[in-house]
Amino acid sequence: MTPTRLCTIVALLVLGGAPPLAAQQAPRGTLVIAIPREPVAPIPSLWRNDQASREVSDLLFLHLADPDPAYRLGDERAWVPRLARRWTRRDSLTLAFELDPRARWEDGTPVTSRDVVLGLERGRNPALAAQTATLLTRIDRVTAEGDRVVVVRFAQAYGEQFYDAVFHAPPLPAHLLSGIAPESLATSGFVAQPVGNGPYRYSRRVAGQQLELVANDGFFLGKPGIGRVLFLTVGSPEARAAMLLAGEVDALENIFALPNWARLEKLPEYHVYPLPGLGLNYSSFNSRANGDTTLPHPLFADVAVRRALALALDRERMSRAAYGPLTRPPGAPVSALVARAVDAPPAPPHDTAAARRLLTASGWTDHDGDGILDKDGRALQFRLMVPSVSASRIRMATEMQEAWRRMGVAAELDLVEPAVFTERRNALRFDMDMYGVNQDPTPSGLTQSWSCAGIGGSNVLRYCNPRVDSLLARAQVQGRGAPRTYGQALRLIAADAPVIFLAALVAGTPVHRRFTGVRIRPESTWADVWRWSLRPGAALERDRR
Amino acid sequence: MNTWLIRRTLGAAVTLLVAVTLVFFLMRLTPGDPLSRLGEERPLPPEAVAALKARYGLDQPLPRQYAAFVGGLLRGDLGASIEHNGRPVTALLAERLPPTLLLGGTALLLNFSFGIWLGVWQAARHGSRADRAATLVTLVAYAMPSFWLGIVLIWAFATELRWFPVGFMRTPWLSADAGWWARLTDLGWHLVLPALTLSVSTMAATVRFQRAAMIEALGSDAVRTARSKGLPERRVRWGHAWRNALGPVLALFGLWLPLLVAGSVFVEQVFSWPGLGSLVAEAIGSRDYPVVMGATLLVATAVVAGNLLADLLHRWLDPRLRAP
Repeated sequence: MTPTRLCTIVALLVLGGAPPLAAQQAPRGTLVIAIPREPVAPIPSLWRNDQASREVSDLLFLHLADPDPAYRLGDERAWVPRLARRWTRRDSLTLAFELDPRARWEDGTPVTSRDVVLGLERGRNPALAAQTATLLTRIDRVTAEGDRVVVVRFAQAYGEQFYDAVFHAPPLPAHLLSGIAPESLATSGFVAQPVGNGPYRYSRRVAGQQLELVANDGFFLGKPGIGRVLFLTVGSPEARAAMLLAGEVDALENIFALPNWARLEKLPEYHVYPLPGLGLNYSSFNSRANGDTTLPHPLFADVAVRRALALALDRERMSRAAYGPLTRPPGAPVSALVARAVDAPPAPPHDTAAARRLLTASGWTDHDGDGILDKDGRALQFRLMVPSVSASRIRMATEMQEAWRRMGVAAELDLVEPAVFTERRNALRFDMDMYGVNQDPTPSGLTQSWSCAGIGGSNVLRYCNPRVDSLLARAQVQGRGAPRTYGQALRLIAADAPVIFLAALVAGTPVHRRFTGVRIRPESTWADVWRWSLRPGAALERDRR
Repeated sequence: MNTWLIRRTLGAAVTLLVAVTLVFFLMRLTPGDPLSRLGEERPLPPEAVAALKARYGLDQPLPRQYAAFVGGLLRGDLGASIEHNGRPVTALLAERLPPTLLLGGTALLLNFSFGIWLGVWQAARHGSRADRAATLVTLVAYAMPSFWLGIVLIWAFATELRWFPVGFMRTPWLSADAGWWARLTDLGWHLVLPALTLSVSTMAATVRFQRAAMIEALGSDAVRTARSKGLPERRVRWGHAWRNALGPVLALFGLWLPLLVAGSVFVEQVFSWPGLGSLVAEAIGSRDYPVVMGATLLVATAVVAGNLLADLLHRWLDPRLRAP
């Protein structure tokens, strides 16, 4: 081989092997996400009821493990390792987690078992995190075995021990928080500049406008694909819609929560990802007399009336019109995500004839000819309480009012502020209401709201059926049979008709097409953005700043 | 003058106290529980509710809560926000007040500079076709709700033409290291639509007040004398007539000074402006009493100070009011 030929080959290899200059300098991109509320405290144990804080926190503070894409939360082998690299079950009451030795806090300190113990301690402290603490009552104790192993001991055997251990209370940096009294954490400097162990670092916050995270390039599970994530607080749905139209945001939570979503859905720059969520909307019957819980409700104590009012509604059409084409009415109290894990019953069909038959059989006819059904001198009329800030629920309530009116049932809408709504609902001072809730991602959460034991807690409606309790208790300790047993419990609840199930929300999450590798998590929408990346050549001006 | 000022200041302080006292009790009499949002999806256990009530003093009788509020006020402590995890209200207000003052101040500047000029311009052409056209335009502007105008401006100039941003006070992705000129121009670019929205209806009122006062002043003996002395019309208009026509506009200034703090709540919501608007709207909705009280104090202070300032300016301009 001549020297000239050798030089040519070497030059070709060098030039061919090296990425082009443009690619070397390609920006990693800025992902701009519009969220409806400001993340006030994106720190585990301080989330309270704030979904925005929790979602930002999930990018800063890793969990021991994450759910697998199929969401088999009850199967501890299906979970994806994160801070814990493996786990073992020592007996039916004990789980041991071995931490990944590569895991580091941003300041370089290794993540240790003390951090895991601290996170769970704070999460189980009712004075600090009352709501999380109620979920973790079955954890008996958490202990560190050296720096790398954490042992979680449970007070009883049940199917979702693993979920409880890893989901609600991620580890916190013990080396930084040991000097801060737990009750002072919310006002400490740590909240202003939290130090996490996740794929992103807290960069800055512009009060009332944005929270900025930058990639943690030393992240032990791999360098994040996107360099910067901006969470913009945009309270008004109109403004979020305008920002999407103007191309000022790359992603937002639910396009169907915006005005004119049919138009927004067709924007060519965005792909809308369906997201079976945790949101569940239903209209509750107060089984007790409005304001006097010692007496039964004069109308809704009768299950025939409750069933008839449910059958009179075309819930399929109503739920799509209010919450987008992906949302369906459920047949029982299960969100679209939880419905995957259980044998949930379908929603009963719209059947006004059957509704009329039920009411007539129950003695409700229009005796006085005023257009409203009556029985023993009492008209079939009531008030439907609706939170005044929810356009979707107001829309649904108006349609329900109209559907019932055609059957001779008079419902008067009672629009109230959210604070008043919650106060009156918890005190059972209403006839019917339009309620929306984000369920826990597991069916075991049903016990809180639909068992006799939940009365005084999440079971605000005081629904109590011992047969349902027994099925729920059995399902919690079952393995493979659990979905069927949960299904049986759900069928019983549906037959009792304590509420009208209106919508199991399936959101449409628009994401700009300039991002690739997009995966969205139902329980924490943005937790996987570190695995997204910017398409080559798709950078905008904001990606270069 | 000193006695007048002392009397007026004391009166202002009493007004302030009455205003915050009224809001304190009315807010607590309004249905709705300040802890309700925390238990919206999963009611808090009774012991957690009790602990939270004790932490924020909500377990105390109303008179004691009021005494604690006034005591804190005298020490410059407005309490801790329930919604914001116990953050001091003073810190929250300090964070959100500057953007609100900037927006309100710009709107006020636009309002008075353009409003006064147009009012004088119209008065000088009183009865002409141009005057009638301008009157029609200002009437329409006066009747236009600012939140609606904001939505229309966003649709036209932000989403369709893309000349201005949809919202915020600064470009979210602007680097923190950007130079002062880049930051200043960026701020100005973001201010245009919200400041215009906020100023349009108030500006229309200023125009109408200024026009009416100026028409009266231009017909006065003083102006006739000035003209008879052969003074140029421009000097007659601005040097003699305008000074006499300033009284009603100054009264308006006193009325609109609170706009600096309170007037922009809806506009801030429409433009996602990171000021007091969203903070106060959320606080009212969730019954975050300490934040509502802090904001009330700010607004009441602005109203009282605005009125006091207007009175002072009036006395300064009109020597008859200074007569013993």
